[in-house]
Amino acid sequence: MSQSLSHNTNSFNTSYTTAISVSSNVTIADGRSNILAWLSPLDPRLRHQDIQDRRVESIGEWLLQTEEFRSWHTGSKGDGSDRPVLFCYGGPGVGKTYIG
Amino acid sequence: MNRGRGQALTSRHVSSLVIDSLCDEAGEQNHTVACFYFDFAVQKEQSPASAMGALLKQVVSGLEEIPEEISQAYQKQIKGLGGRGPRLPDIVKMLQTTSSKGRTFICIDALDECVPEYRVRLLDSLNKILQNSPGTRIFVTGRPHIRPEIEKRLGGRVMSLSIGTERGDMTRYLHSKLEEDTTPDAMDSSLKAEILRKIPENVSEMYVS
Repeated sequence: MSQSLSHNTNSFNTSYTTAISVSSNVTIADGRSNILAWLSPLDPRLRHQDIQDRRVESIGEWLLQTEEFRSWHTGSKGDGSDRPVLFCYGGPGVGKTYIG
Repeated sequence: MNRGRGQALTSRHVSSLVIDSLCDEAGEQNHTVACFYFDFAVQKEQSPASAMGALLKQVVSGLEEIPEEISQAYQKQIKGLGGRGPRLPDIVKMLQTTSSKGRTFICIDALDECVPEYRVRLLDSLNKILQNSPGTRIFVTGRPHIRPEIEKRLGGRVMSLSIGTERGDMTRYLHSKLEEDTTPDAMDSSLKAEILRKIPENVSEMYVS
């Protein structure tokens, strides 16, 4: 499931290595990771992986099949009704129930 | 069973599921996915600049080369006060540029856990990105009380959907927890069956965070 996030990371690693081997100039590769670190000190991918590890398989999968999710995902083409933001909220008036 | 905060049956799980499903198809579809999880426990660190910066970081790390605009801004910055991060308006501009090329999915979990003052600035930043980069799609989860705020700040661009837990989800969750029980002998099968029957009956909907 984490393939693409790690794919992203891999593509980063690949270009990192390429930068070193092609140019033999470590500063290019260093530059890349320095710039990325400069953009933000936070790394939500680690958080994502943590949550992913604890996720119970198939919980919530019904959401992906809803009309709302599908039309958000596909996006309608230029008829003016397209809504690019999907906000999913806990049921109205539901008290907080803690499990775990 | 207690792992502290962040054990959301709906919000966290749904967000991570959506992110994974978008990532799984990202390779074929050539789109970009960036995510951010808000969390009360680290609320102060999650400023609008660091949150938006984290989204930008993910978008940029998927690119073969760092855009010129960004590396120049970085070079400029280190000559000055060294270590000072990019400012929010600059991050927004950079995100507008990087997201304008293809389809970018931004997923934000538990927006209600963001400091309210920060949330205003974050939503305005997202709005600017939507205005300039029509290929951007944003997925947000949160408690219902922030719904009016989201709908107001993001103009008519929002579709809202209630995600009360399905009974099937509840049963699957309990099953998985019972499987993880470290002292399985303490429970016989009739107790287990009773748990699986009674809890979903009594909890019609829930939202855990």
